[in-house]
Amino acid sequence: MTRFWQGLGTGLVVVCAAASADRWAAPLLAQAPGFKAPRTSWGDGKPDLSGIWQALGTANWNLEDHAAYGAPAAVLAVAGTVAAAPGGFGFVDGPIPYKPEALKQRQHNFENRWTLDPELKCYQAGLPRATYLPYPFQILQSNNKILVTYEYAKSSRTIHMDKKVAAPVPQYMGQSNGRWEGDSLVVEVTDFRDESWFDRAGNFHSDALKVTERFTLTSPYHMLYEATIDDAKTFTRPWKITVPLYKRIERNVQLMEFNCVPFSEDMIYGQWKRR
Amino acid sequence: MHQRLLTAFALSALIAAGAADLAAQKPSSPPRTPWGHPDLQGVWTSDEETGVPMERPEQYKNKPILEGKELEEYLKRRELERARNANFGGGITGAGPVHWYEWWGRKSARTSLITDPPDGRIPPLTPEAQKAEEARMKDWEAKVGDRGPADSWEDRELWDRCVMRHLPGVMFPGGYGNNAQIVQTPTHVAILNEMIHEVRVIPLDGRPHLSKSIRQWYGDSRARWDKNTLVVETINFKDMTDPRMDIGVRSRGAFPESFKIVERFTRMGPDTIQYEITRDDPKTWTRPWTAMLELKKTPGEYLFEYNCHEGNIGMENILSGARAEEKANPELLKRRAVRKAPGEESDDPDR
Repeated sequence: MTRFWQGLGTGLVVVCAAASADRWAAPLLAQAPGFKAPRTSWGDGKPDLSGIWQALGTANWNLEDHAAYGAPAAVLAVAGTVAAAPGGFGFVDGPIPYKPEALKQRQHNFENRWTLDPELKCYQAGLPRATYLPYPFQILQSNNKILVTYEYAKSSRTIHMDKKVAAPVPQYMGQSNGRWEGDSLVVEVTDFRDESWFDRAGNFHSDALKVTERFTLTSPYHMLYEATIDDAKTFTRPWKITVPLYKRIERNVQLMEFNCVPFSEDMIYGQWKRR
Repeated sequence: MHQRLLTAFALSALIAAGAADLAAQKPSSPPRTPWGHPDLQGVWTSDEETGVPMERPEQYKNKPILEGKELEEYLKRRELERARNANFGGGITGAGPVHWYEWWGRKSARTSLITDPPDGRIPPLTPEAQKAEEARMKDWEAKVGDRGPADSWEDRELWDRCVMRHLPGVMFPGGYGNNAQIVQTPTHVAILNEMIHEVRVIPLDGRPHLSKSIRQWYGDSRARWDKNTLVVETINFKDMTDPRMDIGVRSRGAFPESFKIVERFTRMGPDTIQYEITRDDPKTWTRPWTAMLELKKTPGEYLFEYNCHEGNIGMENILSGARAEEKANPELLKRRAVRKAPGEESDDPDR
C-alpha cells in the first residue's frame, strides 16, 4: 500500500512538470468571432452574466495534468469505479508553485484525501473551487449586487458592485468586491479561512489567500473563468487557473437542493454513534 | 380585527418614526428596481418580533396589541424569560455562548404572530387530520422505541444537526441570527437566511413547478408580483413524519401531499417589509390561517457566513458526551433495556 502511494506521488509530480503554460492561449477560449455579450434588460449597459453555469472536465479532481488514478483499497471496495479520478488536462499555467514545505503538505493531503477533503464533509467549498465543483451554480445579476449561489452545500456569496465591503471575520467563501473591466467582471476575493482545498487532490491554501477572478462571456453558451491565486505563505509566486464554463440550457433548468449535511454525518460523527 | 392591528401598527410607526415618515409608510409607493419591480432588496431582520409567541395566550383574548400597565407586565415577564433562556442557551452542551441571545426580549407589544383568525390561534384540526396526526405520532413513538436522546445524530433535531429550520420556521425569529437578504433580478428573486445559511432562488417567469416526484427540504417555490406584493408559493415538501422536523406539529399540516405555503412580501416603507405567511389546507384545518412579521431594514450589505455544519462541535460533544456518560454509568443503558414493552410509559428522566 505504501509503495502504491509513493509511486502515485512521484507520478503526480512528473506529470505536473510537463504541464504546458500556453494551452490557454489557444483560440478556442477566445471570444467567438463577431460575438458581443448580451446586455442587462434595464439599460445599464453591463454584460448580462445571469444564468446557470457549470464546469466540465476534471478541475475538481485535480487542477494539474494527471492520468487517471484510483483510491485506497478500502474506498475502492465500497465505491468501485466511482471512486476513481478520470485523467485530465491541467487547468493551471504550469505546475503549482508550492514552497517546499507546502508541497509536502499537499502530498500528505493527497495521500489522505479520502478522509481530509472538506468536500467529503459537506463543508462550504471556498473559491475558486466552488466554481468548478461538479454541480451547477447560478449568477443572479442585480443592479448593485451580484449574487452567486451554488447548488453544492446551498452555499452563496454576494459580489459587491456598489461599494467596497470588508469582512469582519474570515469566511469559507471569503468576501467579494467586483468591478467591470470592459466586458469582464473582475472580482477580488479576500478574507478566507484556511480550511478549504482547491480540488480533491489536496491542493490547498492558507488564510493569506487572495483570489482575483475574471468572468468573460465568449459566446451565448460559454464563459471564461480565470482565477489568479495569490498566497505568499503557500506559493512562491501567484499562479492562475483557467476554466471554461458552460451554460445549462435545459428548458426550465433550476438549481436543485443539495443539502449534503445528512450525507456527511456518518463520516463525521460515526465514531460517536452508540453501538 | 386584522384592520385594527394594522391601524395599531401604523399608529406606533407614526409615534416612532415621526409624522414626516408617515407618507413613506404607504405601501402604494414602494421604491422600484431599475426594471420596474417593487424593490425589496437589502438585508432585513425579524429581531423586533423576537419573543412574540406564535399563538396568543388565553389571557390576552381580543388583545392583539397590549398597552399601559398590561404591556409593562408583559415586557417584564419576557425579560425574565430572556434571562432564563440566555442562561439555558449559553450554559448547555451544543448551544452557543450567552451573548448569542442578546436580541431576545425585544419590546414588541404584539401578543401573537398569528393575525388571522382574529383570536390569534391556529384553527382546530379537521377530524380527518386529527386521526392522521394521532397515527403519525404513534408511528413515531414506535420508531423511537427505546432509543436514548443521543444514540446517534438522528436522535437530535434538524436544527441541532444544521440540516434545516423548515419553512415557515426559517423566516421566524429565534434567539439570534434572524437576518434575511433579498436579491432581485427581472426573472428571479433570491431569499437568503443567515441562520444555518439557507438560500431559495425563486423563478418569477411563470414556469411550472417541479414534478411531484421531486420533494425537497424547502420544497419548490414559484413567485409572482401581485401589484406591489411579492407572492411566493411553495409545494413539493419532503414527507415530514418526524415531529422534530418542524416548529410545531400543527403548523406542518397533516397531509404532506397537500402541504402548501403562501408567503407575501410587501414593502410598507423605507425600513419595513410586511411578511405574511398563509396556510390554506381545508383537509387539515377548519379554516385558513395567517401569521405576520414585520421585517426591519438593517444597515448590513450582506449576511455573515453562518458555518453551522462546518463548526458543529456541539454535535460532537453531545454524542461523545453521551457515550462517556454511558461508560461511566452503565446503569443508564440497562434501565433503557428494561422498559422495552411497547406502550409502556417511560420513567427515564432523559425522555
